[in-house]
Amino acid sequence: MSLVEVINVTKEYANGEESIRPLDEVSLSVEEGDFVSLMGASGSGKSTLLNLIAGIDLVTSGEIVVADTDITQLSRGKLADWRARHIGYIFQTHNLIPVLTAYENVELPLLLLPMSGAERRKRVEIAMAAVDLTSRASHYPRQMSGGQEQRVGIARAIVSNPTLVVADEPTGSLDDETTEQILQLLERVNNELGMTLLMVTHDADAGQRARRKIRLERGRLMENGKELHTAKIRTA
Amino acid sequence: MLGQKLLPWDYGVRNLFRRPSRSALTLGGLTIVVLLVLVVVGFIRGLEKSLAATGNPNVVLVYALSSAADVENSSIAGRTPALLSASVDGVRRQHGVEYVSPELYLGTRITTANMPEPGMGLVRGVTTTAPLVRGQVQLAEGTWPQSGEVMVGRLAYSKLGADEQDLAIGQQITFDGQTWTISGRFTAAGSAFESEIWAPLTELQTVLKRQDLSLVAVAMDSPDRVADVDMFCRERVDLELKAVSESAYYASLQTHYKPVRMLGWVVVALVAGSGIFAGLNTMYGAVVGRTRELATLQALGFRRRAILLTLVQEATLLACAGALIACIIGLTFVDGAAVRFTMGAFMLTVDSVGISVACGVAALLGVVGALPPAIKAMQLPVVEAIKSI
Ligand SMILES: Nc1ncnc2c1ncn2[C@@H]1O[C@H](COP(=O)(O)OP(=O)(O)O)[C@@H](O)[C@H]1O
Ligand SMILES: [Mg+2]
Repeated sequence: MSLVEVINVTKEYANGEESIRPLDEVSLSVEEGDFVSLMGASGSGKSTLLNLIAGIDLVTSGEIVVADTDITQLSRGKLADWRARHIGYIFQTHNLIPVLTAYENVELPLLLLPMSGAERRKRVEIAMAAVDLTSRASHYPRQMSGGQEQRVGIARAIVSNPTLVVADEPTGSLDDETTEQILQLLERVNNELGMTLLMVTHDADAGQRARRKIRLERGRLMENGKELHTAKIRTA
Repeated sequence: MLGQKLLPWDYGVRNLFRRPSRSALTLGGLTIVVLLVLVVVGFIRGLEKSLAATGNPNVVLVYALSSAADVENSSIAGRTPALLSASVDGVRRQHGVEYVSPELYLGTRITTANMPEPGMGLVRGVTTTAPLVRGQVQLAEGTWPQSGEVMVGRLAYSKLGADEQDLAIGQQITFDGQTWTISGRFTAAGSAFESEIWAPLTELQTVLKRQDLSLVAVAMDSPDRVADVDMFCRERVDLELKAVSESAYYASLQTHYKPVRMLGWVVVALVAGSGIFAGLNTMYGAVVGRTRELATLQALGFRRRAILLTLVQEATLLACAGALIACIIGLTFVDGAAVRFTMGAFMLTVDSVGISVACGVAALLGVVGALPPAIKAMQLPVVEAIKSI
């Protein structure tokens, strides 16, 4: 089985009389260590799919199995615990906690995991070094540039060594030069740290940096011009 | 709740410094609320203490049956003390002195040297046996009043609405057409006597052109002897006397002031209630502005209960700081402040009860003020909240 199995997932929003269905029975498998980009027009449902896989949104129907756990079956509390263990989330606008320093922001996800203070310190230092921000450890978000903030966001996403790192438009609010820095950093996260990466973007250039490029069109997932089918059908 | 991973304590504390002016304003508001609670509870406690300290179960008060427990309206014959000591057994006696205190008690207008308007004061005409029967009364300074002199309780000035200086030893006061010099100042263990002015009985009778008494206070050997006095008064119907133990008399006053005390507690509840609304308002502001941040914490894997706890912790921390400041102010300025009241004056009392109530109210303000906004913020789905600005 693949690391991530999205099986016949539908997401529907009921808006009074009419309903929107950004995901219509979509299926997707992601192998461990892969770097997948998810592209598509604005409003096509990219974030919706990413959030479902990251366990912060709930499917209307279908299954999502990550590392052998069907997360659609977990209670809200269990899902929160699962996220802490398995998901590193990189937001478009970093979403750092303003009252915490860069170091403390990176440390935050580790507080949810059982580990010694020394182990925690070691991991934060490694993550800070990986994004080349060791010298900014004691700075607060407001004292950093947008690119630096996003790098802290990446350090926070990788610090717990998650099963899957997801990024929703990680370069969406950055200039070209910073975008390039961040993309290189994400490539290193995938190459050097071996982390599985799922990146949503509407920027075609950014999308091309991934190993697998998937498009979301009218509720369906396309790869190389062909629609993706359920894992079950594929293996049959 | 235990075993659940909580947010660092620092996070809550630092959030308070995020908007220092708002936190300071909230702190000020909370402090005022807690201080108000402290004052009202201090009032209730002071009133209770003053009445409780006055009643001695060994002492029986004998006054006119017709006066309906209002000693000011009571008029009994001047020979009553002699009659009582001759007829009743068990009257306390020491060194050849019987503990029988004939007293004349009245409320009257009193003028001091510096007061533009006379104030209502309480005057008790007494003999030298009075302090034997009223054991709490102690001369704090000066001397027992001789002819043309009075001694004042330490809160008499407050009852009059005068300056403390106006009733210093050597000052003169005027009532019922006579000027009196203050010879001494007495305390009475927080009891109601502290708001009275004591004058020599015979001289007061002369000035008032009265020969009667208001009451006789008799100290008995033991509390059960009080019943004998009561029996005597009931049997001698012709004397039209009523006997009540001093403790029962002031206990009935306690019930008399029950509505006042109840009102006090209502005020405490109202003040606390309005404080909660103020707290709610502030916490709504603080939480709504942080919707996305709280969603981020959830996305990272913090459980909602942990986040809720942090928000409550923030508010409670502020409320406790307010309580601390209020208690310091309360103990410094409120405790012991004299209050005028119809029955006399008493002192606001900031005691363990007041402090407990104040701290309880503060904790309530923190928890109840923070929970609804926090719960509301948590109810938004994470995916929606994370998009909010
Ligand atoms: N909470 C919601 N309620 C109703 N409709 C929603 C909600 N969230 C998203 N949508 C709709 O779902 C579609 C997909 O949204 P989204 O996944 O955010 O798109 P993308 O990330 O590709 O721009 C959009 O049409 C959007 O309007
Ligand atoms: Mg999106």
